[in-house]
Amino acid sequence: MSSAAQFYLTNILVFFGVDLIAVWGLNLQFGVTGIVNFAFIVLQAAGAYTAALLTLGPSSGNGGFQHYFGGTSLPFPLPLIAAGLVGAVLSALLALLTRRRLRGDYAAMVQLVVSLIATTVAQNQSGFLNGSAGLALVPAPLQSIMNLTPLGYAWFYVGLTAAVCLIALVVVRAIGQSPLGRAMRASRDNEETAASIGLDVSRIRMTAYVVGGALAGISGALLVQYIGTWAPGAWLYPETFVYFAAVIVGGRGNVLGVAIGSLLINIAIVEVTRYIPQFGPAGFIDAMQWVVIGLLIMAFLWLRPRGIVPERARRYHLAGPAGASRTVSQQATDRESQTS
Amino acid sequence: MSLFVLSLGFGLVTASVLSVAALGFTLQFGISNVLNLAYSSFMTLAGFIAYWLNTQGLDIWLCLLVAAAATAILSLGLSRAVYEPFIRRGARSFEILIISLAVGVAVTNLLLAFIGPSGFSYPGVQNASVYHFAGLTLTSDQLVVIAIAVALMIGSHLLLTSTSIGRALRATAENSELARACGIATPRITRIVWLLSGALCGAAGVVLFLSISSFTVQSGQDFLVPIVAAAVLGGIGQPYGAMLGALVIGLASEVSAAFINPSDKEVVAFALLVLVLLARPQGLFAEAAHRREVIT
Repeated sequence: MSSAAQFYLTNILVFFGVDLIAVWGLNLQFGVTGIVNFAFIVLQAAGAYTAALLTLGPSSGNGGFQHYFGGTSLPFPLPLIAAGLVGAVLSALLALLTRRRLRGDYAAMVQLVVSLIATTVAQNQSGFLNGSAGLALVPAPLQSIMNLTPLGYAWFYVGLTAAVCLIALVVVRAIGQSPLGRAMRASRDNEETAASIGLDVSRIRMTAYVVGGALAGISGALLVQYIGTWAPGAWLYPETFVYFAAVIVGGRGNVLGVAIGSLLINIAIVEVTRYIPQFGPAGFIDAMQWVVIGLLIMAFLWLRPRGIVPERARRYHLAGPAGASRTVSQQATDRESQTS
Repeated sequence: MSLFVLSLGFGLVTASVLSVAALGFTLQFGISNVLNLAYSSFMTLAGFIAYWLNTQGLDIWLCLLVAAAATAILSLGLSRAVYEPFIRRGARSFEILIISLAVGVAVTNLLLAFIGPSGFSYPGVQNASVYHFAGLTLTSDQLVVIAIAVALMIGSHLLLTSTSIGRALRATAENSELARACGIATPRITRIVWLLSGALCGAAGVVLFLSISSFTVQSGQDFLVPIVAAAVLGGIGQPYGAMLGALVIGLASEVSAAFINPSDKEVVAFALLVLVLLARPQGLFAEAAHRREVIT
């Protein structure tokens, strides 16, 4: 494989890994718990800015052409961890903002507004995060001490991304299969019933906000340390919409499903259109990508609302009279046959 | 002080455009219960329909009428073809919200694909003269924008209070089951409100483009949050609340722009909205609007 092709491949793999971590975070919130968080992209952005600020060093570095607050240089895993923490804390704040019992769509609209405020502030406060130009020259982790060729380093980063993805996968699967995951699904499917059997719905939602926010923050940190730049243009509110598209198309609540959705929406649509010869006015294909994503969401919600790989129906085993494990549905059938 | 008065003028223009847009948005929400985030994309669409007609030599005021009528029909079509089928299938409210966002993104980007990102201005409107009075400085275009908004507000008020359709609209917004039990054909009222809100949306789009020197396919989209802010601030679904909300948002953002960094003016308006939502999710003027609205 030529080195150009390898660079291309490593780029796609890292981007896919970043998107995977983000959609798993969003899936935990939207797919599993049923929270519509339209400010999700802000959490990814916050993670990216955190990692950038914690690696760039003081603002006077690099000839002082960028203006930002509190830059330091922390060693490798710390910026990534800090990004996760910042994502989690901001996500908790978002949860508190909509803690009042706002109708689901109303709360989502509030977060859309928060997302726009965040973009406007980051763009206009030039001393805060270097304004609309954004941060550049973010150092890549361990690159200075590893002494690798650029291509070798790119493959190293693929490995790093894969490792973080694996951790994220373990976390979301563990939560999904735990009693907490069941409680999350219960509060999504029927809030009143969930509350009536003693589940603390707002606490369950807060957990989903925090874990999803941490994953979003980590995904942003991984991305910024690879591409080296981060600007407000990278996290406008329609970007949240793209992640929602991935979750809806892939299959809400299904870890594998949303991964496939992410591959299709975040990677395939962008990469395939790269090879379509440019036609029409400038920017025609880019704009049409958004049209396609919009139409895909509508088509899936109409034709296949549960996505490509639907969340599997769960059967919970209860201990039977003879100690044998029986499913709830089997018991229901038994009762029906007894009464008839 | 003079800076304050000057910014008040800008605030009035912004508030005028916003009041027309927010009125349409909130009326439609009050009746159909759909938070239609595609609204601002339809404003842009209307603005460009008027632009196209204007370049064909049609007078700008005729363009405004035609664009408003076209948007009314498109808006009804959107409801009939997209929202209603999903609602009949029992789609949840957040799914409708995502669908409306999908429609909005698709429409905006279709416009972007075929029109491109460059700026436009209406060719038929160039000879703006400037008027000064009481410290305010307004161009003739801005005065016309304010006049249109005031006329539309008065017209809507008369429609809501003095016609049987208006009374049926208010009854349906208040309690659609009770309205239906009283013999009001609520499906018909829903169709009428989509037409009405589409017409207001179209008018707001053209008026918005008239009030800014150069518009792009993004200009309407930038207006989405102020519209939502005005509607929510006034107690969503409340027509008079939306007018008041528009006035507050418009004036607050432009007046604050005179005293702080102008690019932060949106932040002030939005921060106001977030505070209101934290303290009173039902909006500032829910009660006031209730008293004036319901008891007749």
